[in-house]
Amino acid sequence: MRRFDYFEPQTLDEAVALLSRYNGTANVLAGGTDLLVEIKEQIRKPDHVINIKKIPGMNRLTFDPVAGLNFGSLVTAREIETSPDVRRDYSGLAQAASEVGSIQVRNRATIVGNICRASPSADTLPPLIADGAIVTVFSEGDERRVALEDFFVGPGRTVLRPNEIVTAVELPAVTPHSASIYIKHGRRKAMELATVGVAVSLTLEGAVCRRIRIVLGAVAPTPIRAKKAEALAQGHALDEDLIEAAAQTAMDESRPISNIRGSAAYRREMVRVLTARAIRQAQECVQ
Amino acid sequence: MNMSVVGKSVKRVDTLGKVTGLARYAGDLSLPGMLHAKIKRSNIAHASIKQIDVSKARALPGVKAVLTHQDVPRVLHYGSPHPRSASVTKDQYILDNKVRYWGEGVAAVAAISEEIAEEALDLIEVEYEKLPAAFTVEQALCPDAPLIHDTSPGGNLVMDPVIVTRGDIERGFAEADLIIEGEFKGGRPTPAYMEPNVCLCQWDGNGKLTVWISTQAPFMVRGVIAEVLGLPLNNVRVLVDHMGGGFGAKQDLFQNEFLCVLLARESKRPVRMELSRKETFLSGRSRHPVHVWLKQGFKKDGTITARQALLTFNSGAYGSHAPGVTGVSTASLTSLYRCENVHLEGRAVYTNTPIAGAFRGYGCVQSYYPLDIQMDEAAERLGIDPAELKLRNAVRGDDIAPSGHAVTGHGLEDCIRRGMAEVKWSEVRAQAHETSGAIRYGWGMGCEMHGSSAYPGIKEQGNAIVKMNEDGTVTLVTGTTGLGTGAHTALAQIVAEELGVKFEDVGVVHGDTDVTPWDIGAFASHTTFMGGRAAQMAAAEVKKQLLERAAERLEAAPGDLDIADGMISVKGVPGYQISVREAIAPRLGLPAAHLVGTASYHPTKSYSFAAHFVQVKVDTKTGQIEVVKVVPVHEIGRTIHPVAAAGQIEGGIQQGIGHTLTEDYVIDTTDGHSLNPSFVDYKMPLSMDMPPIHTIIIETAPNPGGPFGAKGIAEDPIIAIGPAIANAVYHAIGVRFHHYPITPEQVLDGLRKKNEAAPRPGIAA
Amino acid sequence: MKQVVAVTINGEAHELAVEPYRSLLDMLRNEAGLTGTKKGCDVGDCGACTVLLNGRPVNSCLVLALEVNGGDVVTIEGIQSGPDRLHPLQENMMKFGGSQCGFCSPGIIVMAKALLDENPNPTEDEIRFALAGNICRCTGYTKIIEAVAATAKQLSSGKEITP
Repeated sequence: MRRFDYFEPQTLDEAVALLSRYNGTANVLAGGTDLLVEIKEQIRKPDHVINIKKIPGMNRLTFDPVAGLNFGSLVTAREIETSPDVRRDYSGLAQAASEVGSIQVRNRATIVGNICRASPSADTLPPLIADGAIVTVFSEGDERRVALEDFFVGPGRTVLRPNEIVTAVELPAVTPHSASIYIKHGRRKAMELATVGVAVSLTLEGAVCRRIRIVLGAVAPTPIRAKKAEALAQGHALDEDLIEAAAQTAMDESRPISNIRGSAAYRREMVRVLTARAIRQAQECVQ
Repeated sequence: MNMSVVGKSVKRVDTLGKVTGLARYAGDLSLPGMLHAKIKRSNIAHASIKQIDVSKARALPGVKAVLTHQDVPRVLHYGSPHPRSASVTKDQYILDNKVRYWGEGVAAVAAISEEIAEEALDLIEVEYEKLPAAFTVEQALCPDAPLIHDTSPGGNLVMDPVIVTRGDIERGFAEADLIIEGEFKGGRPTPAYMEPNVCLCQWDGNGKLTVWISTQAPFMVRGVIAEVLGLPLNNVRVLVDHMGGGFGAKQDLFQNEFLCVLLARESKRPVRMELSRKETFLSGRSRHPVHVWLKQGFKKDGTITARQALLTFNSGAYGSHAPGVTGVSTASLTSLYRCENVHLEGRAVYTNTPIAGAFRGYGCVQSYYPLDIQMDEAAERLGIDPAELKLRNAVRGDDIAPSGHAVTGHGLEDCIRRGMAEVKWSEVRAQAHETSGAIRYGWGMGCEMHGSSAYPGIKEQGNAIVKMNEDGTVTLVTGTTGLGTGAHTALAQIVAEELGVKFEDVGVVHGDTDVTPWDIGAFASHTTFMGGRAAQMAAAEVKKQLLERAAERLEAAPGDLDIADGMISVKGVPGYQISVREAIAPRLGLPAAHLVGTASYHPTKSYSFAAHFVQVKVDTKTGQIEVVKVVPVHEIGRTIHPVAAAGQIEGGIQQGIGHTLTEDYVIDTTDGHSLNPSFVDYKMPLSMDMPPIHTIIIETAPNPGGPFGAKGIAEDPIIAIGPAIANAVYHAIGVRFHHYPITPEQVLDGLRKKNEAAPRPGIAA
Repeated sequence: MKQVVAVTINGEAHELAVEPYRSLLDMLRNEAGLTGTKKGCDVGDCGACTVLLNGRPVNSCLVLALEVNGGDVVTIEGIQSGPDRLHPLQENMMKFGGSQCGFCSPGIIVMAKALLDENPNPTEDEIRFALAGNICRCTGYTKIIEAVAATAKQLSSGKEITP
């Protein structure tokens, strides 16, 4: 691995001070499962690596039926995947977390790391956005909250400034008759980077869809909401025709590229197929 | 034959170290003062090197040696070193003033740490003069294509075409009731063994070189290094103990061995060179991508009247095994399914892409995939069940095999019949496909045969030394290499069986070219067949000496004695016996007898057979294919170690499923760089993707040339699985594929075309 | 500059000096002399370097050595039940043929131990799920799954299972 200096700040203030001091030449290390790979492959060449794992309080995960879910930036994918609260109320997120790499990777990889890496194909991002996640961003003497859907600006690029650190993620409590689903498409059943990822989070009232969010991964420079498809479904009874129409609309909203993992045309087609499947599965979960 | 050791799944001699972490692989070794070496690789596919400036790299503190093409011997060598071989081509330099593929080494550095060596690579400045390149076979065969090598026959052909002819195809096609022809394409799977290539080199004070290396062919490594550096063979010692797989590819030399040796000489320090996973892809060996045109004629009863084929292999930037693979592959189409009239032509073409080499299945994956699929197509057109058609045409005893020998027994027919019974073939084939919903199921089967040993391409020789120690234990000294299949265990079983001693009393010494008898290397499914037979012959020699000695003690003729379970007895005289130990032990003040047997065995050829039966599941909305179940039936003459044999079959099936559905090393045809040199994007089937495999091994056609009738097993299982899957997919969705890997996207395209072509309901068909 | 890492490896306290850019894998192999943990890809894709870090399976190639200061690491060399007693997983990997070239075996065994510690009676699907990050290129996984399933049965019943 390329040579670098290493720091273990004990507080957030210390961490952001280091980031400011080494403006642009430092990287934050949390789980390390992306950062260390990128250093080894010389995609990133930081002179300074700042390990934030010694900062207290950031590994907590709390759930409250009213306030919802809140977890710090050191919470791992494996903790999310196996948390009974997450599995019950945010099953799309739990499913997505379980599809990140292997158990070995998930024991290190953090959800916030997945967020900050901002890969268009990151599994946890679509369900987080679908469930309305908000992140807390810390900088010198300041803290701000950003809706996750507004957090990404491009592949690997976010609204985060060089001296800012994401400290926590919150998800609102779910209302009754809700469900969330994540379906990943890859060539294998595990150890995949998504060709397409589809998250659907919805609330039903009888057969009528009161709330729906459809979020697509790996088909645009960032995860995207299929807002037209959502609008089509919202307020209506979700019958087969409507589901197919919404899925078709989601497909039209996607903007995939062609690469080694799949062609743009195939990815679009999968958005349609998987969006319909995800809506149906969510429906079944509620019923 | 009543066996006491052969046929038992004894405790393997190599696995205790593997499960405890104590087994030492080449990369686990380090020496005092050891340096770490790295290779600078080209980022262009075809270019002349105008200039290389290494001054900054040399000046970096910690760097101990830097080599470019100006610093290394300029000797043309075989990338893969079979002796006197027609299988390989002499077209490589250690470092050349040209590069012919993206990722070829252009310089090497040894430094006190890997990090410093890597930083030094960044400081090496290479000025290239870009040359026009050919990234595909079509481009390389154009009349105005850039020439990648100056060697004959020219035109970017690696060697003269291979032509195999029997009978008269014109007459054959004239007699046919049905003629089918088709074009087929095979992708670029790679072996992707778990242990990246690695070696450690040290020169002692007397100019002797020791190389610890992960190779299938230590004597070949010794031979090529000695030849290129002008050293006598006894000044090059090559050691290999455990190795993390090779699957054929680790027969080649990969530049790194030469460079490691020379960096060690230059720096006067031991040097380790360990390739990264990415480098193992970039500079490794793949299966040859292939294009096959195949035409066959059939009579109404299914008899094949003629077969004609043109096979074109993409060799990549160097020849490596192209002549061998082309020869084996082309000749393989004379057989499997009987046909008296054949005309077959095979060609291999240089391109500016990574090097194709030896890989399990050696050309037969590429030839039997088309042949078996076309049999399936013919069966449908003739109205005959495909398994039945293959059974009627299966190669059998006294037919002439691709090697020119007569086939022994009825192994292939036995495999087909057994598999059909096992899966209840006619029932599962007749089951109505599920027609509602997106999921379809189907069953298919495919066949193969593969030779043990590389004869007649190479005249081989297996050697062994068997020694009996004064306590009655036995040491087998063998030059064979253990890739992980349990070969040394099988050899020890053969020796124990022949000698009549306990398996636990046989030890194996291997992996040291200074100590063991010469061996050609572990490939061509021949280690048990050839090395095992040599070991059996050497053991028989020791047995003869032992019985002569025991005869004196027992006052009986040696011919009247028998050994079983470590006891020597007189036939027909119960209870009159002495132990092997007593027979050899020192006596009356005299040292123990010196009992050593040596043997050399020159095999010809034997063939193993298999039929694979497969169930697949196809999601017609996503195009994803899942293999649900595999029933492989293999005929291998005699099973030495059932668990190890089944394990090899199951591993071959895993690789074959990968070949057919997910694995393809993809080269960008605009600039020659590889698009997926990693385990994330080179997609091997993993634990969740692998179906249950119900392995069946039968022993109905033993070969008299093998130990106790045993034949090879290593390569067979990767061959039949491919066409079996493709045929099962056709059964499931009615779409015929002529290539591998079959991607989900292609499945959807195929379904779309089929639906467009299908007659609309209401219109009479 | 090298820094000292105080770490318990296989129950034994170590103080090892390493550079900040060294992985736990490199520290185990080069500084602690424990070469049973293998480097198959060095980027977390193959699982050959799996060790238990504070009880949890991780890819040691994706952990910085300095991060394990004060921690507890178990490698393949520390899996055995006693000095002369193999862990049943090790016995069964040999017996059922789960180890061929053996390069993936240390990672597979450590991962399977982590699974059985957490879930003593896994289904076949659960075993396959747990081993998803461990590439084996030799066996097709059949015999590995059998070995792990047999070990689970053996540990819960106290009876040895044969193939």
